[in-house]
Amino acid sequence: MRILRFAVLLLVVLAWQLLWLRGLPEYVLGPVEILQHFGAALGEREFYDHVGASLMRSLPGFAIGTLLGIALGLAAGVARSFDQMLSPVVFLTYPVPKIVMLPLFMLWFGIGDFSKILIIALACFYPTFINAYYGAKATPAILVWSGLNMGAGRWRIFLRVVVPNALPQIFAGIRVSMALSFIVMFATEMINARSGLGHMIRVAENSLRFDLMYVSLLSIAILGYASDQLLRLGRERVLAWQEQGA
Amino acid sequence: MRRLLPFVLIGAALLAWELVVRSGLWSPLLFPPLEKILNELILFFSKSESLMEAWVSLYRALGGFALAAVAGVAIGMLMGRSAFAAALLDPLFSGTYAVPKIALFPIFIFVFGIGSLSKVALVFLECIYPIVIVTCQGARGVNRILLWSARNMGESRLRTFGRVVIPATAPYIFAGFRVALPVALIVVIITEMISSADGLGYMVIYALSSLKTDRMLAVVAVIALLGLALDRALVLLRDRLVYWEKLETYYV
Repeated sequence: MRILRFAVLLLVVLAWQLLWLRGLPEYVLGPVEILQHFGAALGEREFYDHVGASLMRSLPGFAIGTLLGIALGLAAGVARSFDQMLSPVVFLTYPVPKIVMLPLFMLWFGIGDFSKILIIALACFYPTFINAYYGAKATPAILVWSGLNMGAGRWRIFLRVVVPNALPQIFAGIRVSMALSFIVMFATEMINARSGLGHMIRVAENSLRFDLMYVSLLSIAILGYASDQLLRLGRERVLAWQEQGA
Repeated sequence: MRRLLPFVLIGAALLAWELVVRSGLWSPLLFPPLEKILNELILFFSKSESLMEAWVSLYRALGGFALAAVAGVAIGMLMGRSAFAAALLDPLFSGTYAVPKIALFPIFIFVFGIGSLSKVALVFLECIYPIVIVTCQGARGVNRILLWSARNMGESRLRTFGRVVIPATAPYIFAGFRVALPVALIVVIITEMISSADGLGYMVIYALSSLKTDRMLAVVAVIALLGLALDRALVLLRDRLVYWEKLETYYV
């Protein structure tokens, strides 16, 4: 199975390279060519500045958004009064595209990094809130009753029963947020920024530097893929007690 | 009372906004008065040009979404019911799942042009992932006993698929749709903000750069309402079509 997985990806890349050898439009580069450009970019300082600028936006936004989402989601999942106050608003605004707030944030907080971090945090908040909320809500009552019966306090039950029970769901939410943080980061940088990978691709596009376009594209792809794999590793460690599903 | 609670909070937010405006601490450019925003909103709905812009955005979002729905359900079904198809296609989907597809947009502009096509293509690409993943998950989890019973009662493969697999997967398909539909709107607005001469995303950026904050907020409100309305419509459709299942469709 693993060999087949690898073979499929290899075949796609090979077909692409062959097609490129036969001649494609100039804006489609071949895999080998892209790797060469990427290798060249790795030796330049400017490239690292862009990657660093992008990460300095996506990571704080992701951290703020997911932490708030998990905390408030768990709180709404266990405390009824909190639930009634907060959840309707979250569920009502869930289908609203959060990116429309960007111009507003730019107006209030300036066009710098702060408004971008804020919009990334806002986008990351929703998936983690909803998953933590449903995860906490789905705690079997029997477990809570048993805990109470054995003399555990409310806090202990929350930490030892509710949170572990919600963890798989929380990780599912974090995975969505992680992907979202990169999407929103890239989008905000494309709309307006002076640094970062999204800015780099816009500049490359305007000056028809196709090589730089693909370097930016490959970097964001690697960042997205690597962080997803890291998250999976973390999940496997934290949830070692859980049977592996998908 | 419980149903009214969200409206109380929204009312409080609007009140806070009005107080901030009245306090005069900030320029009306940053916090335009509510009545001005409302005025712009009425103006938006009374002019056919602005309604056309909304239609352009809607048509791009729904076009890409519809294509992704058809292709995504087909691929997801195939992957869920055939181990070979899953082995073949899964690396492509799970390997590129976490990669922001929006980064392909500049290349799409060169391939499909600056008009609607590049945007519809990107919407398609972003929407197909959740639909495929959730549909596949649903199709894979169809109760085996139901399948065996149907086969045992002499149903053909095709009939089993139509009468057992599809109804069993339908709740999942709609769960995937519900994730994908807001994504479609987001992608359209982003791409229109980045490069476009029409659509709601363009209107927002245009109003911002001409410092018409009240108009910008009116368009933002229209986009938010559009997102809400699309989601409501999908839930209504789901409740009619999949009336037998009450699966929570917010996550998966």
